[in-house]
Amino acid sequence: MSDRRGFFGAAVRAGLGAPTSPPPPTAGLSDAELERYSRQLVLPQWTEAAQLALREASVLVVGAGALGSPVATYLAGAGVGRLGIVDHDDVEVSNLHRQPLHFTPDVGVPKAHSAAAKLGYLNPAVVIEPYQASFNAAMLEGHDLVVDCSDSFETRYAVNAACCAERIALIEGGVTGLSGMVMAIRPGESACYRCAFPDAPPPGSVPSCAQAGVLGPAAGVLGSLQALEALKLLAGLEGALTGAFLQVDLADLGFLRVAVSRREDCPDCATL
Amino acid sequence: MNAVARVLDITGETCPMTWVKTKLELERMAPGEALTVLCRPGEALENVPRSAAEAGHDVVRDGTTIRIVRA
Repeated sequence: MSDRRGFFGAAVRAGLGAPTSPPPPTAGLSDAELERYSRQLVLPQWTEAAQLALREASVLVVGAGALGSPVATYLAGAGVGRLGIVDHDDVEVSNLHRQPLHFTPDVGVPKAHSAAAKLGYLNPAVVIEPYQASFNAAMLEGHDLVVDCSDSFETRYAVNAACCAERIALIEGGVTGLSGMVMAIRPGESACYRCAFPDAPPPGSVPSCAQAGVLGPAAGVLGSLQALEALKLLAGLEGALTGAFLQVDLADLGFLRVAVSRREDCPDCATL
Repeated sequence: MNAVARVLDITGETCPMTWVKTKLELERMAPGEALTVLCRPGEALENVPRSAAEAGHDVVRDGTTIRIVRA
């Protein structure tokens, strides 16, 4: 690994400039914030209060790959105040077709750091905290919402259990091939991931991304849906995908919303 | 309704900041309160009243002055 910070680390040393540190937040939105977020502030559903709620929010993105790239990009761009980025892997050249936060010069760089560098340029006002590590429940401290962009059922169930225990809102998601799913969860109020899928598939029964393959835009669609649902929960918008999951099959452009109820015997959320 | 309306000067703004600033000012007001928006001739004078009406507010245009009663 020749350069820990990858492409943007080299750009900084080449004199292209580093992100400026953000000014201290004002009570309302500054003129700079009004301009940066103007195209969402004009939306009837998006108010100044929504924007301020976003600025106050702290979100943990678990995974900085195919789903985490669009999720972190859109959340940073939208103005989430603090983003934790968790990923223990390094960038590989085979990641690049579906992980648009990483560039060819980043190969060999930890994904969390590669992602953080880009996000800092995208929106210098956002506090980005990269964690080059696997997910553990202690990482949830101080966060208001988690977006699970991991690529294994083991991690997905661990994130769900931890978010239920701490009653932290969670956006689940997954993608393989040309299909995937998304689910918004308010622990104790709506069905959790384990309510919807009580048992993990037997090890080896579901092909991994490396075995089954995935098209980049398919991951982009699912990750974008996760980012959208995160913004809905953070800003209190109507229409969030709670109490249901969305099954997405992009081969034939099928979107199926499947209602899910809380399970009385759910080991993760029944006691909440 | 308040006898004295709030006044917002957007003559120095360009689209879409003209409507962004008007919309946010309206969000801070109570239903029935009136806002007088000082505009300059051009795009904003068409877009701001239309956006305000589409958002459900009562709108009256008088020259370059737009009076909006918050819905």
